[in-house]
Amino acid sequence: MKFTYFHLMPYAGLPDDFEKRFSSPSLTYPNGFFDPQLGVELYHRYLDELEYADELGFDGIAVNEHHQSAYGLMPSPNLMAAALARRTSNARLMVLGNAIGIRGNPLRVAEEIAMLDHLSRGRVVSGFVRGIGWEYFAHSVNPTRSRARFEEAHDLIIKAWTTREPFQWVSPNYEFRYVNVWPRPLQQPHPPIYIPGAGSTETMRWVAQHQYSYMSVYAPSTLTKRWFDGYRTASEEAGIDPDPEKIVFSVPLYVAETDELAHAQARGPVEWLFHKGLKQGFEIIFPPGYMTPGSMRGMLSSGFAGFENMTYEDLLREHIVIAGSPDTVGETLERLRDQLGFGAMNVLMCIGDMPHEHVISSMDLFAAKVMPALR
Amino acid sequence: MPEAITTQGGVERLAIGDGEIAILSGGEGPPLLFLHGGGGAGEWQAAHALLAASHRVIAPDHPGFGESDELPEVEGVDDLVYHYLEVMDRLGLERPAIVGHSFGGWLAAEIAVHSPERVGALVLLSPVGLRIPEHPITDVFFVPPPEIPAMIFHDPSKLPAPDGPPDPDVLLAIYRDSTALARYTWSPFMANPKLERRLHRVKAPTLVVWAESDRVVPREHAERYAQLIPGARLQTIPECGHALHLELPDEVAAMVGAFLADSAAVAR
Repeated sequence: MKFTYFHLMPYAGLPDDFEKRFSSPSLTYPNGFFDPQLGVELYHRYLDELEYADELGFDGIAVNEHHQSAYGLMPSPNLMAAALARRTSNARLMVLGNAIGIRGNPLRVAEEIAMLDHLSRGRVVSGFVRGIGWEYFAHSVNPTRSRARFEEAHDLIIKAWTTREPFQWVSPNYEFRYVNVWPRPLQQPHPPIYIPGAGSTETMRWVAQHQYSYMSVYAPSTLTKRWFDGYRTASEEAGIDPDPEKIVFSVPLYVAETDELAHAQARGPVEWLFHKGLKQGFEIIFPPGYMTPGSMRGMLSSGFAGFENMTYEDLLREHIVIAGSPDTVGETLERLRDQLGFGAMNVLMCIGDMPHEHVISSMDLFAAKVMPALR
Repeated sequence: MPEAITTQGGVERLAIGDGEIAILSGGEGPPLLFLHGGGGAGEWQAAHALLAASHRVIAPDHPGFGESDELPEVEGVDDLVYHYLEVMDRLGLERPAIVGHSFGGWLAAEIAVHSPERVGALVLLSPVGLRIPEHPITDVFFVPPPEIPAMIFHDPSKLPAPDGPPDPDVLLAIYRDSTALARYTWSPFMANPKLERRLHRVKAPTLVVWAESDRVVPREHAERYAQLIPGARLQTIPECGHALHLELPDEVAAMVGAFLADSAAVAR
């Protein structure tokens, strides 16, 4: 089992009655509410937590990309990865990921990841994502072109990393007469690729065929199992024996000395994450064309009504969140590993507005008492 | 040879490009091509039936909307202009009156700018298509679904209240129409920045209609069209929302019918 310490860098300063007053922390929550002094504290605190995860022996430390949102303060994940590159030494530096479909110029991603690969002496893992629905509003990128742009940008970046002479690129959404990226990445042929999936068959098949890592997004474990099974089936259909370490379970997770203490300390931050951080209406999650008709039908028929109406207990029961004593968390993860068949985990340990000292004690307990038995 | 479309309110399918489109039609008389907006595909509406008393009304679903296939080669409004010129050729519509609502109004104006000689009369019902940054068009893609009735009707109580949870098939059909609309209008949003300087090319007698409770398209858009299209007339309808021919079909059909009857240039 491989462990990645994932950070969202949430803006922890939302008012208590946020969900009553605002429709979402994304896109419309006025940036006048952003307190720059708090911003300075949060960035440094969050980078400290990621550096500490490297010290504790996590296999990877991960950042991601979100725009115009208090849910996550990393419009540029590559900047955060750069800040970590020379202050960490062992963990994989995982950018999960760059939203290549909404970038005007995907070659900028190829260049920055290649630079990070050198700064980190070959520790970079490159995730590619389409970006969340609201980000298509934030970038004026047509969501009906989301999939095509993602796939073209991916093909272009891989070709830019692996071709050793200038070439011309022409595809429906991108045209570059001169592609000749300096530097080339250190890792050959290129850094490992992670792709998050939320059940779309097209995505599963595509990830399996490329033998990339398939990473779940927060969802009930029954749904995640279906996705991982789908990925395994797609791999077998492509004649590939899927490496379990390429099946990655993502989960917010909290450990304290006892179950009681864990729940008492996790409840508020978990509710923050799912009720404030992820509060968003249909119209901004699913802009037109972002979902294929098949995926939309699957979503409508799954009966999944969104996080807004789920209590802390619901979230625990569905294993969307895991919290408890080291024993409880360890047993839960062993059971889930056996049921779902994953070989890597992407754990979110700074949940919502959780205080730094709780994050650190949860990390200490997880690294000392949970990780070793699961390895 | 023109292809016959004769069914009263019936659906015909026309093979075109890489697929087929659905066309509703009815009535007899001079041809009237009705171009729907973001909503309203696949429906033979009260206003269609009223206009069909004096015209042969032809109401196609745009590619990707209603019962029409998505045509991969039709990616934007420029492609739609060529699409409709071909539809008009195929149906033998030499100089039809073109009535367009909202997005369909923008399309109608683009056709009249591209091929002024092909349009007998032009009616734009609360059209989008112009970029007026100081009077922005409502971002219809950003409106939460429960707020849509109040956005498009002056009096949303006229719309039937939903009974029970929405049918997934209905939601999927709405998402499909919305996807087609986004494909053509996401960016530049609901406008062709170059249209304004081309409107002087329009030769057809033109009526621009604006609904006084339009909460999608500000009045300035209708005024700008009426000002820049030579000889165009602007009329407004009180107590009516953006979906004007759905909210007040009698008034709108009467206004359009009177204009077309007055107009000397109704299509042959």
